[in-house]
Amino acid sequence: MPHQCTTCGRTFPDGSKEMLSGCPDCGGNKFQFKPAGETSDGQPSPVGEKPSDTDRQSPDADRQSPDADRQSPDADRQPAPIDDGAPDEGDASAADTRDPDSRRPDPKSSGNQTPDARNADSEHVRDRSEEDVAQASARSDVVSPDELDRASRDVEGDSSSTGSGPDASDDPEGPRPDIDDLRDELNEQFESIRIVSPGKYELNLMELYDRQEYIISLQEDGRYVIEMPDAWGISDE
Amino acid sequence: MWYRALPHRTECLGENTGLEVRMGLLTNLKDSISRVTDGLFAADEPKRIGIYGPPNAGKTTLANRIARDWTGDAVGPESHIPHETRRARRKENVEIERNGRKVTIDIVDTPGVTTKVDYKEFLDHDMDKDDAVRRSREATEGVAEAMHWLREDVDGVIYVLDSTTDPFTQVNTMLIGIIESQDLPALILANKTDLPGSDVQQIANAFPQHETIPLSALEGENMDEVYTKIAEYFG
Repeated sequence: MPHQCTTCGRTFPDGSKEMLSGCPDCGGNKFQFKPAGETSDGQPSPVGEKPSDTDRQSPDADRQSPDADRQSPDADRQPAPIDDGAPDEGDASAADTRDPDSRRPDPKSSGNQTPDARNADSEHVRDRSEEDVAQASARSDVVSPDELDRASRDVEGDSSSTGSGPDASDDPEGPRPDIDDLRDELNEQFESIRIVSPGKYELNLMELYDRQEYIISLQEDGRYVIEMPDAWGISDE
Repeated sequence: MWYRALPHRTECLGENTGLEVRMGLLTNLKDSISRVTDGLFAADEPKRIGIYGPPNAGKTTLANRIARDWTGDAVGPESHIPHETRRARRKENVEIERNGRKVTIDIVDTPGVTTKVDYKEFLDHDMDKDDAVRRSREATEGVAEAMHWLREDVDGVIYVLDSTTDPFTQVNTMLIGIIESQDLPALILANKTDLPGSDVQQIANAFPQHETIPLSALEGENMDEVYTKIAEYFG
């Protein structure tokens, strides 16, 4: 399968919209992409397809398969062009150049999927223009290359600061940012009264004064009740 | 008891509903005429005077003092705990007679206006957390209501300040600014002159464009001058 959740290993067909709002099983939001021709490689415990990969560690093997399919992204990254005739060597050097960054979370994480997934994802997203338009648009709804790079850096930062693997840190922290994000979003919409925390409020007096509608009831979850201005009712009649 | 709708305004809008909606120009004309006639009739109607100010300035104490002096009734409970008044309360048809002249006003006692409400400030007043959080939420709703009244429903403002505290605050500056921008007649009262730290001059300096009247609403000191000024400003 072309897409695989890096947290639980569930796979999704290419173009699947099921994963657009996160993995239905574990809620994970990081996926690695495997082209259709390499579906056998998209398992949680990857095994290198190519003979030259078998003597490598699985992280490198995982990263290597997309590299073998597409040379141009690697060529962009590497200072010297790679000889087409020696893809394994080229990939090995590419892996070496990436290793200092990408391997940092490796020893800490129990699995070896996540760092590879980051590399694989970024490489494949850059390659989007070569793929089917529908598939590309399906992915573009979720993440852009810039966002992916940023997310990768965040994961690295989190894992290095918390000392736990990226996969482990994603799950417990997952729900909390969602709630905070929701509160922030509500607060942005609700400019006149900011709910700092239950029982703590900040009021924008000018906004309250300028509002035509009248806020008559607040609730801690960010909901509120307003009284519609008389004029609105009249104009509807 | 407090009101959210204005009887005369509701009637005015009710008339407009009888007009044909598609005749937009005529509707606008009728609106203008209604406003003018409304204004003429309003001369006989009581002026709605909002008592505004930060929390714990003595607004309800003043409202009760005025209401008791002229009607015998009170407006609402007073308390040393901030945000005791969390809903605007109106006392209608308060007739004040001064120098042979009668002025009838509706007093609107509004919740104290502030930019921050924190339940923790109530915990010091023998209140458990749940009650403090609820009071905080109601106080916030009260500020929203006070601002709404200021926008829609008052014809003049009595701005009450605690003369023992610094008047140079964001809230005071903003509210006075709004009142001035609305061209509302405003009377600034420097309350709590019975307290040792009272500094009326500081308030006068903060708002030199307005007349500042010292008083102690609690003790009833200088209320004669307050009533004279009310008749002068809002009559």
